[in-house]
Amino acid sequence: MAPGNDDLVALIDGRLPANEVRDIVSRPKEQDRFQRVLEILQARTGWTDRILMPLSEHLYIVQKGAERIVRCDCGHEFGDYRCNWKLRAHILVRDDLESLEQIYPGLSAPNPELGELREFICPDCASLLKVESVPCGYPVIFDALPDLDGFYREWLGTPLPDSGEFRDLTPEVLGDWGRTTA
Amino acid sequence: MDHVNAGTIAVGAGQEEARGIGSDGMTLRQMLKRSRQAYEATGCYRGITNPCVLQRDPVRAELFHTRLLSALIAGREKTRMISASPYVREVSELAIGIYTPEGDNIAQSTGIQAHSRSMGEALQWMIEQDWEGRVGIAPGDLFWFNECSIAGMHPADVYDILPIFWQGELVAWVVTVIMEMDIGAITPGCMPVPNIERATDGIRFAGEKVGSRDQLRHDIHLKCELSFDMSDVFLLDRKGAIAANIHIRGEVEKMIGEFGLDYFKSAGGELIEMERRNQLARLRRMTVPGRYRNVGVFEYFMKDQPLTWLAARKDVIRVAPVETRIETSGRVTIDLEGAGEWGWHSCNATPSGMWGCLSISLVQTLSCDGRANLGSLLPFDLELPRNSIFNPQDTRPLAQANIWATTIESFGVWLTSLSQAYYMRGFREEMLGFRSAFAIAMAGYDQYGVRRPMVSGTVGTIGAAASAVRDGLSPGGAVPVPHVDVGNVEIWEQFMPYLDLSRRLNPYSVGPGKYRSGLSMPTISLIFGGRDITGGALLAGGTYNILPNLGLGGGYPGAKLVRAVVRNTNAMELIAEGKPLPAQLGHPAHPDFASMLKGDIWLPHHVPEPFELQTGDVVVDANGAAGGYGDPLEREPGRILRDLEDGSTTVDIAERIHGAVCHQREDDGCWEIDAAATSALREQHRKDRKARAVPVHDWWQGVRQRLARREFHPLIAEMYGSSMAMSPAFADEFRAFWALPATWTPEVK
Repeated sequence: MAPGNDDLVALIDGRLPANEVRDIVSRPKEQDRFQRVLEILQARTGWTDRILMPLSEHLYIVQKGAERIVRCDCGHEFGDYRCNWKLRAHILVRDDLESLEQIYPGLSAPNPELGELREFICPDCASLLKVESVPCGYPVIFDALPDLDGFYREWLGTPLPDSGEFRDLTPEVLGDWGRTTA
Repeated sequence: MDHVNAGTIAVGAGQEEARGIGSDGMTLRQMLKRSRQAYEATGCYRGITNPCVLQRDPVRAELFHTRLLSALIAGREKTRMISASPYVREVSELAIGIYTPEGDNIAQSTGIQAHSRSMGEALQWMIEQDWEGRVGIAPGDLFWFNECSIAGMHPADVYDILPIFWQGELVAWVVTVIMEMDIGAITPGCMPVPNIERATDGIRFAGEKVGSRDQLRHDIHLKCELSFDMSDVFLLDRKGAIAANIHIRGEVEKMIGEFGLDYFKSAGGELIEMERRNQLARLRRMTVPGRYRNVGVFEYFMKDQPLTWLAARKDVIRVAPVETRIETSGRVTIDLEGAGEWGWHSCNATPSGMWGCLSISLVQTLSCDGRANLGSLLPFDLELPRNSIFNPQDTRPLAQANIWATTIESFGVWLTSLSQAYYMRGFREEMLGFRSAFAIAMAGYDQYGVRRPMVSGTVGTIGAAASAVRDGLSPGGAVPVPHVDVGNVEIWEQFMPYLDLSRRLNPYSVGPGKYRSGLSMPTISLIFGGRDITGGALLAGGTYNILPNLGLGGGYPGAKLVRAVVRNTNAMELIAEGKPLPAQLGHPAHPDFASMLKGDIWLPHHVPEPFELQTGDVVVDANGAAGGYGDPLEREPGRILRDLEDGSTTVDIAERIHGAVCHQREDDGCWEIDAAATSALREQHRKDRKARAVPVHDWWQGVRQRLARREFHPLIAEMYGSSMAMSPAFADEFRAFWALPATWTPEVK
């Protein structure tokens, strides 16, 4: 049995008791979960632009005119979803012991000579959107590039209008950055 | 059963070989070849395009599967009653699988389910090597296998293999795996780190026929007695496994009597094909097609190990981009292009080990309904670059005691990508994540005066990752041990020369977030009794200095492992005086072991060289937990309050990380959170963030300038150099990301 709307809202809000979460985990997965979650999120944001997919706690892919962009729930926009949104975020890097020990005190801190923590921040609302832990110098990770058109067309059976090419646009932005820098 | 006509396939009954022990007089090798060709031709297991035997009568099919599964689980429990090892009796480090004649897994018991595919790989290697013709396979024959250059997770996991016959035809195999505490490896332990060559791993069996008529050969018995310090434990484990296998054979014979031979043979194959279809359906129901990326880091410190081949004494770090591509067909490719080169240490993964870790990851999420078998894995492809740490060109000369170290680290980060896909699809309660772990292995004279290896079973006490709807489980986040049963400490204290001082969860281990990870449970051991004890690492992970990238949605990864060895302590005096001993880690900046004990503190990394231990020494292993979810400043005050009250967090963490202002009432000791002050402090934290954060573009420019000047730690430079030499694609993408010239390479000192 699929969770009712109240239960789904409570689940999204983290208010559902652990035993009820477990019940949902144990049940067969409902076919329309994606659409039901999307309806709840759409109502919450109050946006007229259609949410196409939630990306993380504050980020959504939305249809804005002919574009599909990543938008924070505060309204800040990060551009085409096919380009890594992190490039248009702000960043705090913990690459010394003092800053790492603010999170991991004393012996529990990682070694800043070898690795670093990158905190990607929304430039408007200052929400912490993603924390990356990587070796020093590792390229910024593009966590998820969904095949939106393939998903809507072949898995949901409701194709999106104006389908776009499924490819990573990040290298193009980086190319621009490189040319500007050079 | 509809399948591709055998007549269309090159190898059929009697075409190549003499009458065999398989179906319709085929040899097992013919059956295997036919099955593989049918899969290639149709994409369906064994060419079963219409699994009609199961579908014709679903109730009968359910009964069939349940009978099979209950036989396996009952067999597993039987083993636990016979075995002497705490690893079996306390921690249940075993599993049993039943296989088709071709060596494909039909069903498996609970337990260390990493082996469902690799036990089949062992069978298929034997089949391909013509065990049937050259060694002989008869009813009641017993075979052993732990040759990890062919299949397996590490040599300590020993497979007991029994063929099942019905009226002269081999109709199935049953295989039991048990992790052994002693496999004859060098000191210390059964998974020693200071070893690089295969002989130092201990004894390996490559499908050797070790018995017949359900009895072990006398010479094999004697060989075990001569080879192992703990031959009694090894042989009792074997007896437990053989008893389980015989039990399952009996159950299979009963089932064939009830269901009929044709049903048994058809249903076994159809269970695999049905699971393949169901797995594809689950992937399409629960995920989103697309490309997902994460990174795995692996630190192998061998420079100070007492290796006799001096060329291998060096520290290396390896990095591996972990890319997952989910196609609209539902098929999944996990691609490790860009992984660095393999090395002379015991931690290289193998394709078999990687499939094993995928298998045990899947049974804890997508395939958690008890029907996991080979079909669960058929929708997956693993791309493991040749000569990388995942796929060394020739594993035969290599020690392989710590394959887990690399495989677990890889799938910990892979599960984070899978969780991202669950979130995007709306199944945020399905998000899960695990963390690798470390402990200490020992060898020496135990408290009874017996010299032997000693490995404790507490490595699985890791806090699991948070999801987007709740905190992670404490401690429930170790990939290789889904049941996370650390056993009774009183039993371990009988088995090991130590007293366990801690069963208290560590609030400083967590990955903070709106929802935090679970808490890990430190091990604090007071060495007590025994003599001439050598300690060393037990590796169930690879990352130490660099935290694994396990946070989601703004959550942080868990903390670094805190490891300490305190020697020449006053612990025995404190006991005599009735004074307290450190029973928790305490604050990592001034831990209890430092403030409560006098002694010499040594803080070894995750791969320490062997070290001496004696009565009164204290060993601390406080593993970090997995990742948190969401911005820690958004954690509900009510959750913080509950954590304060049950000791899952501290006032220090609450204020520093969550921006919560709390205080403890003097009258009743209860905690309170000041809502207005909390709101103000959180706002201040956000303002501070905003003031300090810079556009990524600005930061990028600074980093690329440092890279252009090659301002790397030498280990990191060598790491990138290895990946770039292995993979032109990685090198191109790395240079392109940082806009570095095409000729740029990291400086390797």
